[in-house]
Amino acid sequence: MTSPRTPFGGAATDYELFANSAFLIVDDFQGMRSMLSSLVRACGAGAKMIDTAANGTEAITMLGRRRYDVVLCDFNLGSGKNGQQVLEEARVMNLIGPACCWLMVTAEKSTETFMGTAEIQPDAYLIKPITEAVLTARLHKIKARKQAFVDIDAAMAAKDFLKAIRLCDERAKTDRANAVDLLRVKCQLLVQAGQLDKAKQAYESILASRDIPWAQLGLARAHHQAGDLERARDILEQLVDRNRSYLEAYDWLSRTYRALGDKDKAESVLARALALSPNSHTRQQALGEVALELGKLDAAEKAFRKSVTLSEHSALKKPDPFLGLARTASAKADPGEALKVLEQLQGTFDNEEVRLRAKAVEGMVHQQNGDPVAARRVAQELSGMLERAAVHLDSTSTREVAGLMFATGENGKAIELLEAEVMNNPDDRTLLESVQQIFNKAGLDSQGAAVIEKTRGEALTLMNQGVLLAREERFEEAIAAMRHAREKMPKNVRVLLNAAYVTITHMQRGHFDQALAREARKCLLEANQLAPAEPRFAQLLAALEALAKDARH
Amino acid sequence: MNDATRPDLTMFLASSVHDMKNSISMMIGTLQEIVGKADPESHPHYRDMAHMLYETQRINGNLIQLLTLYKFDNDLYPFSPDSVALADFVREAQSHVQTLLDSKQIAFEADLAPDLYGEFDQDLVTGVIVHAMNNAANYTRDRIRLAVAEIDGELEFRVEDNGRGFPKAMIEEGAAAMRGTDFGTGSTGLGLYFSAVVAKMHRNRNQRGSIRLENGGRLGGGCFVLRLP
Repeated sequence: MTSPRTPFGGAATDYELFANSAFLIVDDFQGMRSMLSSLVRACGAGAKMIDTAANGTEAITMLGRRRYDVVLCDFNLGSGKNGQQVLEEARVMNLIGPACCWLMVTAEKSTETFMGTAEIQPDAYLIKPITEAVLTARLHKIKARKQAFVDIDAAMAAKDFLKAIRLCDERAKTDRANAVDLLRVKCQLLVQAGQLDKAKQAYESILASRDIPWAQLGLARAHHQAGDLERARDILEQLVDRNRSYLEAYDWLSRTYRALGDKDKAESVLARALALSPNSHTRQQALGEVALELGKLDAAEKAFRKSVTLSEHSALKKPDPFLGLARTASAKADPGEALKVLEQLQGTFDNEEVRLRAKAVEGMVHQQNGDPVAARRVAQELSGMLERAAVHLDSTSTREVAGLMFATGENGKAIELLEAEVMNNPDDRTLLESVQQIFNKAGLDSQGAAVIEKTRGEALTLMNQGVLLAREERFEEAIAAMRHAREKMPKNVRVLLNAAYVTITHMQRGHFDQALAREARKCLLEANQLAPAEPRFAQLLAALEALAKDARH
Repeated sequence: MNDATRPDLTMFLASSVHDMKNSISMMIGTLQEIVGKADPESHPHYRDMAHMLYETQRINGNLIQLLTLYKFDNDLYPFSPDSVALADFVREAQSHVQTLLDSKQIAFEADLAPDLYGEFDQDLVTGVIVHAMNNAANYTRDRIRLAVAEIDGELEFRVEDNGRGFPKAMIEEGAAAMRGTDFGTGSTGLGLYFSAVVAKMHRNRNQRGSIRLENGGRLGGGCFVLRLP
């Protein structure tokens, strides 16, 4: 049998790459669609395997009907969703699997279309005009990369960071084509696993041989994570100075300034990044928040509004810019506008958490604008909602609610909420300070200090009880004690990790049990959710995986 | 219209160049398809169409260069050096000029080690090399050679031809473009300036990339040389 003729004398594998794949071509110009179709056909794709869509909505419908192996999507799709938003929606709605190759097509490369900072990224960007050789080479490269990362991605999805790191090391020994990607992912994994010293070493050894922007950014992030904010700032300042279009570096620099307490700098760095690329809804949201904290209400309003508009078609849109906009309107003494925004918010998102958060802001709007009666009514409604709620409010919202409760005379409820916050975060100085300030604002300075002190003590005792019992080899009691502690402090990272620790140690003494293993895993995953990059998480999860593996044999 | 509402003209320039780029990409695609399918012997307008393709590609190249330079100046270009397999790079660069070379019956040869990798912005360097190859296609007799090699820790790209070589004044212009002093005239000036800027954007330690024009090389004609640290 003769192998089919393929363009540019490529091997038969080039042909196979196309012959058995389903393609979706998304472009708003008919001419471009037919040109790309004939290009894909020339590469070897079967005519029945090629579908086209003229806009984002059509693309989503097509993606829902058929599993595509390759999507060629133009970034610019006229009005409505852009290519990035189509990709985000496809991923969020699970219309494409990890094996799908998504190629973003653009007429030119610019900071606008090149979403280096986006959470969800295409596998490659192709710049027009596209030739058969370009398409073939890029698809080969993507397939090889996906192949190389199958096991690593699986370990990452299971949060088994240490295993994923090991796999990266093993693979890097032989896979030259993916060596750089493997190294980059390994470094990120070291940060995620909380092994910050190793991560810094790895980045520094890369930088010793070459100036590589992503390694500089990674090093700065590792320093940031380790709390060495000055060092992170210095690296990032130098990085944006030499790579002025490196937007992700601006985002981290702004975060670093914010953590250092320099809000003015945090704001100006974001403004610089937004001047280069104004269409990121998350960056506009970040700017809105800093501006609001600085009392720059016009700037805050503008940024929040942009964030709302920009995320309109995004599957990743969040309630935060609406809430920010409402807070800003309230601060501008425009309660009517604030309430209108909150209504709009609840028309956009329909879930309990959003209803709770909107309610909390609503109460604050009334309180701030001289309507204590309405504020009190909202506070009481909110109390009832919180009693019945199946979701936990995030820390910021909880503190906001507590402030509202104090302001409307519901002191008991306020103290109850703040006690829970302290119980969950007894070691977080910034949080404790903010709790104290809420008491101060209510004129309850000394009571606040006493509540914090007492609650902290209680939390610390409960947290350590299990570990002390485990040290005396009284494991069953230790596990029971940690369960009790978890009930009292469901969001306390150390409690969750200690609970996992005593359970795993118990199982390591020959008491493996499926139910206990599940419980330990649940604790670990909750802890990781609350505090990513906690080194104990990675170690404990690896220990648990080892136990589970032994049990299977 | 008062001054406050008057739009920034450079924005119009940039956005219409963007629009033109879209149209030209389509023209190139269509022309490549037509020229690729047509039989050089029997098709009456083969040579005209091939020439049209060449001109269209030149316009596209110039537009990309203008637009990219505009973005460099305004920090709007997402410079993204990445690990690139040079075998892929050469194959892709070749594909942008293949139809043109076929139509002019120019033989192409690539010369590089099979397992060569480099760290650079693939889109920018492709732009530079394709421009040089288009140029060489115009001045060569019947051969073009693209060679890539690692020399003293740097990556050297050479586009060579077997034409009569660059005139002395042109080689001077190449050197001037690197110094950033005098850019000659017309599109040669733009192309050289663009190539020099792209080369200099690639930095490592205290080294920067560079370009130069020379005569000789393996094929004895003009050589365009790009070095990246």
